[in-house]
Amino acid sequence: MILDLHTHSIKSDDGRAKVENYCQWIRSKEMPIDGFVLTEHRQHDFESDYSSLAEKHGLVILKGSEVETEYGHVLVFGVTESLTQAFDFSSINLSLENVIETCEAHGAVAVPCHPGRPRVGMFAHTEELGVPNGVKIVEIFNGGSRDNEDQIAIDNAENLGYQGIGGSDSHIVSHIGRCATAFTNDIHEMADLISALQAGEFKAINFKH
Amino acid sequence: MAIKKLDEVEFGVDLPTFIPDTSLATTTQFAKLIGWNAPRFTDHEAAKKEGLAGAMAPGVLSQGYLVAMIHNWAPVAEVQSVDTVFRAPVIADEAHTITGVVTDIDEDNAKVEIDLTVANEKGETRVFGTATVKLPR
Repeated sequence: MILDLHTHSIKSDDGRAKVENYCQWIRSKEMPIDGFVLTEHRQHDFESDYSSLAEKHGLVILKGSEVETEYGHVLVFGVTESLTQAFDFSSINLSLENVIETCEAHGAVAVPCHPGRPRVGMFAHTEELGVPNGVKIVEIFNGGSRDNEDQIAIDNAENLGYQGIGGSDSHIVSHIGRCATAFTNDIHEMADLISALQAGEFKAINFKH
Repeated sequence: MAIKKLDEVEFGVDLPTFIPDTSLATTTQFAKLIGWNAPRFTDHEAAKKEGLAGAMAPGVLSQGYLVAMIHNWAPVAEVQSVDTVFRAPVIADEAHTITGVVTDIDEDNAKVEIDLTVANEKGETRVFGTATVKLPR
């Protein structure tokens, strides 16, 4: 099963895509992905219910978040009400180690995204701040990467023994599915995704030309 | 073929690709015309001293190209909004391509939403956005 683990909808300040249009796009273009995770910036969308859309289009639609730390941006999977009370999702200067530790304590998984990117990527800060504790997975394929950002992510992940996921980081409809993650087992709900990430049963895929 | 009516539009259809003129001569001329006479728009070396990869095209020039692309596709379209996110500079004298694709059709209001992407030769997105256009029925 293949999921795009990093997407944004109009719920994000810079997102321009409606979730229904993502679904239409995936099906009309016969994209090789089975669903996606909405990772809205600095928030978690508890309100929206995409279950009928998911059923209508035969897709898995899950919800995570993208938060901001001193090491750059971080995807969070398995967000609960209690996790959103444990740290301020709207902050732009969270502690990465604290985010990882707190996520683990709440059964969630934190994954630094586009880590090869200047300023907002983890590896842009490791020389100055050191290698953070607790990181196990990073995003090694990002649909919005420029220059050698993905390669920086891949090389550093290999050196540090991190596993890699892929996500499009789509903000408009037609950018979904450029990168994704293949899972050994089927993923139907967030608990399945968390189990697969914790078990390391996945592989990043790059669909960019 | 130019689009004239809403019912000629299909979800997922690509607009004809548009090759914008991003030569330094053109971006400089445009920048001066609109009063953005800063060296970062007109001089590669000066732009590099500011940390850029070279002189950059003004954002409003890119927006103008986006609208031009839409009108090439549908000359009768009423462009109601062009909402852009500038991810990285469009560097002058580098080749860029603008692509567009229909990602929503609102038949009740005769409106179409178009995804727009300005990419460089490496296929990297520099600017993306969406446009909302109204078409005759």
